[in-house]
Amino acid sequence: MTESVLLVEGLTKRFGGLTAVNKLNLSITSGRLHAIIGPNGAGKTTFFNLISGLYTADSGRVLFKGRNITGLKPYEISRIGIKRTMQIKSVFPQLSVSENLWVTRNATNGVLHPFRSASSDHATRERVEFTLEQIGLTPLANRAAGTLSYGDVALLEIGMALISDPQLLLLDEPTCGMSPAETARTVDKIKILAQTIDIVIIEHDMEVVFEIADDITVMTQGENLVSGSPAEISGDERVREAYLGRPEDEDYVEEAAHA
Amino acid sequence: MTMSLMMIRRAMLIAFIVALIAVPWIVPALINKFWVSVIAEIMIWSLFAASVNLLFGYVGLLSFGQALYFGFGMYGVAIGISTLGLSFWPAFGLGIIASVAIAFVAGIFAVRLTWHYFAIITVVFSLIFYFFAVSVKAVTGGDDGINFTLPPTFSFGGYTGSFSNETFQYFFIFAAVAFCFFLMHRVIQSPLGKAFVAIRDNDTRAELIGLNVYQLRLIAFVMSGFLAGVSGALFAFFGRYASASYMFYHVSGEAVVWAIVGGAGTLLGPIVGTTLFIVIREVVSTHWEHHSLIVGVMAILVVILAPTGLVGLWNERLARWSAREKVPATRTSLQSEP
Repeated sequence: MTESVLLVEGLTKRFGGLTAVNKLNLSITSGRLHAIIGPNGAGKTTFFNLISGLYTADSGRVLFKGRNITGLKPYEISRIGIKRTMQIKSVFPQLSVSENLWVTRNATNGVLHPFRSASSDHATRERVEFTLEQIGLTPLANRAAGTLSYGDVALLEIGMALISDPQLLLLDEPTCGMSPAETARTVDKIKILAQTIDIVIIEHDMEVVFEIADDITVMTQGENLVSGSPAEISGDERVREAYLGRPEDEDYVEEAAHA
Repeated sequence: MTMSLMMIRRAMLIAFIVALIAVPWIVPALINKFWVSVIAEIMIWSLFAASVNLLFGYVGLLSFGQALYFGFGMYGVAIGISTLGLSFWPAFGLGIIASVAIAFVAGIFAVRLTWHYFAIITVVFSLIFYFFAVSVKAVTGGDDGINFTLPPTFSFGGYTGSFSNETFQYFFIFAAVAFCFFLMHRVIQSPLGKAFVAIRDNDTRAELIGLNVYQLRLIAFVMSGFLAGVSGALFAFFGRYASASYMFYHVSGEAVVWAIVGGAGTLLGPIVGTTLFIVIREVVSTHWEHHSLIVGVMAILVVILAPTGLVGLWNERLARWSAREKVPATRTSLQSEP
């Protein structure tokens, strides 16, 4: 059996009467890009919030490389090496592009130096400059992140993920709201990243999913409907039902056929 | 940032410092001696406003309770001298330690909260201690406060000086306040300071990149308590007394207005705001008793017309001017420079 980087057992999260994530079981295999798909409200983002510690699970547990990380604080989980991006692009708007990278690079240090000038830290400076080259934002290094275009913010987010040397990267709809050109650019970056980092991605764009994913998990109503290879998923009757409705519901099938 | 912009700022800062050093000779000659002590007082209150600014301008926490730490600095000095019989430096130290200690204790609870909840809990803390200070008259002197006579001299190396010498008093306050502002400048430019701003901008993201947001907010809270404590201790030496009335939330609120009007998130904003309002108070209050009306109207105008404060407005103007001078326009970074 291959090594599983992330093992989720019976994970449950309720909000009042709503069970957003319901006894979810999932194994993410190391070295394979894993996509999570499913209709709106299936609990995908809640699942990410549980892994990254923003929400506390009601029951169940999450093992990262065999270590139980259930109930740890977000910064503790981040320091272990699990990083994520947000569905709504999220950077530090008043800091410059390079400062965003800088602060991310230093964030996992237990102690932040209170007096040394940030600019005298040569190791970090070199790494920041390298990452700026990688994501192609060198010309915008001194711009405040809040003034960037949407696509550049997305690149900056990926840069922030890169510079923190993650072991597991959770990407929440990285191409959401992007133009086709920006999507293509982002997909390329993700492919390169996936060669060295374990990635779990939530994505609505099926073209993107089937282009990059090695494994796919379909979530509905907080549960793991099915996990498998892209070929298995695309041929699965239950998945078609979940997305398109039942076969006898002819309107839906027709609509889908013409879409 | 362009070179010329940096040079303009440097030059202005140096001119400002030179002017402050020259005050004890120039001001009595041009206006009168009274204004030397007003300027000394402005420096002390600027430091107090800076403690609000460190929390609000750089970490995003609006405290309406900074007077508590100011009061502890004051009482540390007053009780140290009048009750415990301490000399100058130990009393100064006691005031600072007392305010840092109480800031640490209050911070443990306060920084769990943000926004209005944080503002409310800081007010509540300061009110609790205000009423406590008023009620334990035996220790604090209550409303009347504690008057004390200064230890006649204090020595530093071979030099001895006394606060009864007004020039010496002025320079001691200048040195202490300048040192604190220098420390704050270093912190803001350090990795710690960048982490503060990251938390102010987006605390969820800050937590997700691995920053311990709670711990960092607590550090900022204690640092801000330190700045308020130093200003309180200086004010006790300056006024030769301590009073519970300086722990009232009215005092905290004034510092918030000074910091915001001057420019929250800029190093020198609190100095500009404090200077403006204290000068208005000193000039207008002798002619017209409703001088706080002017203060209120000005505060509202600045908040509406220049949300980044007077220094923020100035920085924007300077950046735009410099961009027009140099073609093609050079990008300006949103540094937290003066």
